[in-house]
Amino acid sequence: MYSTTTDNIQRPAETAARRAVHNRSLEPPCQAACPLHMDIREYVDLTAQGRIMEALQVIRNGNPFPSICAYVCTHPCEEACRRGQVDNPIAIRALKRFAVEFGGDRMVQAEAETRNTQKVAVVGSGPAGLACAYYLRKLGYPVTIFEAHSELGGMLRVGIPQYRLPRDIIDNEVQRLTQIGVQIQTNARVVSLDLLFEMGYQAIFLTIGAHQSLRMGIAGEDTPGVIDGATFLREVNLGLKPNLGRKVAVVGGGNVAIDAARTALRLGAQKVRILYRRSRTEMPADEVEVEQALEEGVDIEFLVAPTRIKRKNGSLLATCIRMELGEPDARGRRQPVPVEGSEFNSEYDTLVTAIGQAPQNAGELGVRLGRGSTIQVDPITLTTNRTGVFAGGDAVTGPATVTQALAAGRQAATRIDDFLQHRYPRPDKDTHQSPLGDLKPKTIEAIRKIGRLDPPVLSPEMRTHDFQPIEMVYDWEAAINEARRCLRCGVGAEILFQDKCATCLNCLRVCPYHVPYVDETGTIQIPADQCQACGVCVAECPAKAIVLRRPFERRRVDEELDHVLKSAVQAKSRNTIIGFCCQYGLYGTGSLAGLWREAKAGIWIVPVLCTAKVETHHMLRAFEAGAEGVFIAGCGEQCARENTDFWLRQRVEKVRRVLPQIGLEPERIKVFESTSSNGGDATAELDEFADRIGTLYIASILMQEVQN
Amino acid sequence: MIVAEQKHLDEIARMIAPYERVLILGCGTCVTVCGAGGEREVSFLHDALRLAQSRDGGMQHLFTEYTVKRQCDAEFLDVLADKVNEVDAVLSLGCGIGVQAVAERFEEVPVLPGVNTSFMGMAKEWGVWDERCAACGECRLAETAGICPITRCTKGILNGPCAGTKNGKCEANKDMDCAWVLIYRRLEKQQQLENMRRYYPPRNFLAIPRPRRIVTKAPVAVGGENE
Repeated sequence: MYSTTTDNIQRPAETAARRAVHNRSLEPPCQAACPLHMDIREYVDLTAQGRIMEALQVIRNGNPFPSICAYVCTHPCEEACRRGQVDNPIAIRALKRFAVEFGGDRMVQAEAETRNTQKVAVVGSGPAGLACAYYLRKLGYPVTIFEAHSELGGMLRVGIPQYRLPRDIIDNEVQRLTQIGVQIQTNARVVSLDLLFEMGYQAIFLTIGAHQSLRMGIAGEDTPGVIDGATFLREVNLGLKPNLGRKVAVVGGGNVAIDAARTALRLGAQKVRILYRRSRTEMPADEVEVEQALEEGVDIEFLVAPTRIKRKNGSLLATCIRMELGEPDARGRRQPVPVEGSEFNSEYDTLVTAIGQAPQNAGELGVRLGRGSTIQVDPITLTTNRTGVFAGGDAVTGPATVTQALAAGRQAATRIDDFLQHRYPRPDKDTHQSPLGDLKPKTIEAIRKIGRLDPPVLSPEMRTHDFQPIEMVYDWEAAINEARRCLRCGVGAEILFQDKCATCLNCLRVCPYHVPYVDETGTIQIPADQCQACGVCVAECPAKAIVLRRPFERRRVDEELDHVLKSAVQAKSRNTIIGFCCQYGLYGTGSLAGLWREAKAGIWIVPVLCTAKVETHHMLRAFEAGAEGVFIAGCGEQCARENTDFWLRQRVEKVRRVLPQIGLEPERIKVFESTSSNGGDATAELDEFADRIGTLYIASILMQEVQN
Repeated sequence: MIVAEQKHLDEIARMIAPYERVLILGCGTCVTVCGAGGEREVSFLHDALRLAQSRDGGMQHLFTEYTVKRQCDAEFLDVLADKVNEVDAVLSLGCGIGVQAVAERFEEVPVLPGVNTSFMGMAKEWGVWDERCAACGECRLAETAGICPITRCTKGILNGPCAGTKNGKCEANKDMDCAWVLIYRRLEKQQQLENMRRYYPPRNFLAIPRPRRIVTKAPVAVGGENE
């Protein structure tokens, strides 16, 4: 019988609200960079543990259409990812794709019920419109989408080529929208907003996109054989197969230009050349897309712009002029300046212009327009000059990303809800700025370098003759290894109880990353933006003054152990062996995960997130609860963190020293490590350990018999 | 700082054997720093003792644990009054001073030492502790370049090195630096080698009157005329 005063074993379950108060984690840069503000750190971490369905749930909480983002997100999160300061950023988009595919996103059923009577019309069914409809429906409004084209999706369907976003993905999301009761009107171009109001809609969300290609403003632009990028992609995506001839030129350097060029290749053009007036550095297109286009054989000519187009002998004669880069403009992009007398002629069969797009016809709807014929809105409320009319997406921002459009749709839904409920619009509570600074050079130096692993992509030869998606999904092990690289910014350790801190400097001495330091007042500081959340200092602090910033992480091992101990008692397990097993990596979810399923009866597994968090307390408690043997299985040299194994072994040695004094053999506790080579031996090792414990168990029973 | 190490579990188990209810009392200062009796060690000992009694099936103790900021001052111990009332013994993981302070504050309850107070020293690195001061009461570090020959020389000689030094190590332990060689090297760096040539008369340790007491307060009479 015993009791403890500092009892961390039996604590009342915390409510979500209390947990939020105690949660002292800081917002990571990836989340701050995401227009949707998704909890990326969390779902990457869940993926690293192999908890894919939970990862998908986190993703779905922050994103109405994760399967779409999984294919086409431009991932600003990856640009912000601090792992990029160490080696390469985490492949966040690819991990999301993995979670979506393996977590069963297709099976997710959306639900919504009508709680409000005010009808809302969404004009346009691009990502912004779909997202707005989704969230408004979730808020309980009857929603109707009006789409001018025959199919829903806006730019998703008519702009993005199929090899980047398979159409069944869009269909699936649209299907879910109809399931939750969103009304859909296709082939319905809205020409008058008054009409919509007359039809009884009380709020309108204008999200008509930016489908109108900008004109180059040069002679011969209307010559047959010259086509604008948006129209070209729309025709192809809606099923036409235009004959482009042999040689195709694409003018522009954005994603549309790249998409048009790669689409042209897939339509059978033999020579596709992109003409861009600046250099590669200034190219706004996604780096990977450019790379893939080059692999596929697209030719990019930099610092070139057409000045005149003429029809000659059945083909196009484009006169181009060479450029050089001049002074940076207001946005910092260097302006191209024509080089005098450098004109030259080239012949093409087709020329696609893709130098930018703008919204079309918005003026006819009676809303005030701003720069580049975009719709003018209040950035906070998304209201236009007309009461009850909101606008968002490309129609407001000009051509932007899918994620930005989704975010605009979500924001619009909230604002329309505010409007219809006569509420003052609540300001966004999110700061959208991570408090975490850059990693310091000495921290970077100490972080284990593990290169980024991108999912496999079809070879250029295989992908250019049709429109099949070119990127494949990670396999299980690759995804987990990639997710494990996450630095888990902002959830590290902190000295929560400064009054307890004895300034012993243990944390400073044990930290593998040299993060804690003594400030000028003699106080220990653990800067949150450098901490790698390995948990070593938490377990080594002699005053127990250091904790992890997230409360559930603090209690995790204890709770899992409690659970296992209870189950073991209920199962009347004898000769119990308790194993603390890391859930990251091979022992948890990778090739060695099966080990535990095949393990002999009597072996109970306590899942832990890195064995560095297993303390002597946990090991002793396992023995106290009747375990005959205890083992700890970690990733060893494959751990994404530094020195975790050393500190674990220190603690195991401490327990080993005390066991004989209690009459237990020190070999009852053992550390297993996965190394790159022992995949096969691990089972044998575990069996051997179990046998040894079995022998000790029988011996101890015999001893008792003898004594009695 | 005072350096101590936790006693062997057997010894602790024997000590607490007669008492059913035991308060394991940690100290948040020196013994926390040296990893012998801080909050973590208190729970480690608690866990180990519970484990031991779960296995031997003998007397079942009722343990409680608590860690005070500092055991060697009575004011920090006041919070313990209720807790101590409810136990049969206190197992203090404070240094010898802490044990005595707790024993003095709670005279009715036996206070048992859970650690062996070892020396005054410092951390060489994580998990390694070195003795540095013998509290002789007559500091001569100014003459020995900040290296104490009384603690760091095995023989404690005041005029070293002796003939037992070899390659800068001590004859008593070849892994241990000879304190006098260290002194020589540092004096050399400070260009004060003449300090080595001086003769230091032997000290009479027997003359130290124990227990020592230092009084810093002046004998003033409140309200009276002070001369």
